[in-house]
Amino acid sequence: MIRQISVFVENQPGSMMRVTSVLTEAHVNIRAISTFDTPEFSIMRLVVDEPELAKESLTGKGFVTRISDVIGVELKDEKGNLNQMLKILADGQINVNYIYSFVIREEKAPVMIFHTDDFEKAAQVLRSADVKLIEEAEL
Amino acid sequence: MIWAKEETLPRSEIEALQLAKLKDSVRYIYDRVKPYRDKMDAAGVKPEDIRTLDDLKRLPFTYKADFKDNYPDGLFAVDKKEIVRYHASSGTTGKPTVVGYTRNDLEMWLNNVARIACMGGASSEDVAQISFGYGTFTGALGLHGGLEKIGASVIPMSSGNTNKQIMFLQDMGVTLLVATPSYALHLGEEIRKRGIDPAKDLKIRIGLFGGEGMTEPMRDEMHKVWGEQFICTQNYGMSELCGPGVAGECTELCGMHVNEDWFIPEIIDPVTEEVLPPGERGELVVTCLGKEALPLMRYRTGDMTRLMYEPCRCGRTTARIENLSGRADDMLVIRGVNVFPTQIEEVLLKIEEIGPHYEILVERRNRLDVMTISVELIDDRLLDSYAKLSELEARIKSALKSQLGLATQIRLVAPNSLKRFEGKAKRVTDLRKDGL
Repeated sequence: MIRQISVFVENQPGSMMRVTSVLTEAHVNIRAISTFDTPEFSIMRLVVDEPELAKESLTGKGFVTRISDVIGVELKDEKGNLNQMLKILADGQINVNYIYSFVIREEKAPVMIFHTDDFEKAAQVLRSADVKLIEEAEL
Repeated sequence: MIWAKEETLPRSEIEALQLAKLKDSVRYIYDRVKPYRDKMDAAGVKPEDIRTLDDLKRLPFTYKADFKDNYPDGLFAVDKKEIVRYHASSGTTGKPTVVGYTRNDLEMWLNNVARIACMGGASSEDVAQISFGYGTFTGALGLHGGLEKIGASVIPMSSGNTNKQIMFLQDMGVTLLVATPSYALHLGEEIRKRGIDPAKDLKIRIGLFGGEGMTEPMRDEMHKVWGEQFICTQNYGMSELCGPGVAGECTELCGMHVNEDWFIPEIIDPVTEEVLPPGERGELVVTCLGKEALPLMRYRTGDMTRLMYEPCRCGRTTARIENLSGRADDMLVIRGVNVFPTQIEEVLLKIEEIGPHYEILVERRNRLDVMTISVELIDDRLLDSYAKLSELEARIKSALKSQLGLATQIRLVAPNSLKRFEGKAKRVTDLRKDGL
């Protein structure tokens, strides 16, 4: 299990930077990031090394911030592997709400982060197909 | 055409008529409406103290808040069974302002609207399309009844559905349009977009506008859009007083003639509450004469204007109200609907996921009013998905819609991003200039 933080930002210049600068000041390391925009606002989602500290720092600066569980899956850096993982989830009738990938992982294999409302079942389907789930300690 | 001889009486006769009716009305309301009797007793005024028109200023005011305090019908002077019609408009909070009419009140009201239609040039030859929204608002049914009274053919179109509006204008040979001025401009532009020239291709010749003020720049635009032949006048009223029919512009376009045999207008300083001399600008206060169901004394309209008493070139001798120049309070008029920021605040405070601060932005897009309300998101649980945020937006919009009867735009913003105020908050930004 991995915890992500979600931050509400308005769709205007500098709004994401204000989040990253708070995290920088708090010495929080960002591992993965994703945003999806609407005309007015965006939810910025991040995986960081210290989610509690990140939430505390951001909340202290007035950001609406939430910690929630997501699944991290390690994939071999080979053609068709993402497709293979998504097929396992599709066959298991797991709905993926959103998915994003890690920024950088040095020499380790790439990791995809996704969110589902069917957390338990998704983990079970993936494990039984021998897909490696990543824990926070391994990031 | 002038509908009633009372519109042309010499000033002395108007005043004699007003005084006689005022004495009766004060006695009537004192005997029948307890909240107002209490006010008069508190002010130490008895009906017999009203001996001249000048004594009017001794009477206590009636405020919009009195409707809220006596909701729904505590200000009524007759039993329910005497009421033949109810209407309602916005209140300052969740409950509407409810008004009622006896059969005589309806007759009086629609006759007053007939006068106003005639002031604007209407006659029995006209085919009138009513593009006000029907419902509890007084505008549509008021103009509807008044135009029927003068023998015009009335089409109860209601608001919206531009294509249907244009089809009827063309196919029915409509000569007279009743609408808010901003909707009329919007409709006119839509007609031109379809390659139709109202001056050549339509029979339209008269616009009777109300629900919101029409500025002179709007009137100029109206001629550009609808053609030079278009006679456009505005009229004034509010549901508390009867609805439309209190005052209207004649085709000389020099202010709105007050139906003074039914309404006594005064201008006061809204702060000191002193009556101001003729010609000075202040808040319009209106006393109803001869109304049965809801006889109001010295009602504070909140509208800023001035009164002119010189007889008009049209032949009418009744006092005229100059174009309204703003409000003494913070009421907004959005698409012809009165909106009080307190109504919006009441809705927002009940929604837990957002903070107590808000900002209202009013602008005109494509000739129509758009109201955007910014609110601060404070509940992090909504960050689980966009669906939850959209659901919140939809819930706020729907609550506002049922409170205001108007569609609004919602802008979710980050906490602490809206301005904080010490003292009186200035939450409304109105970008409409001259109504354009």
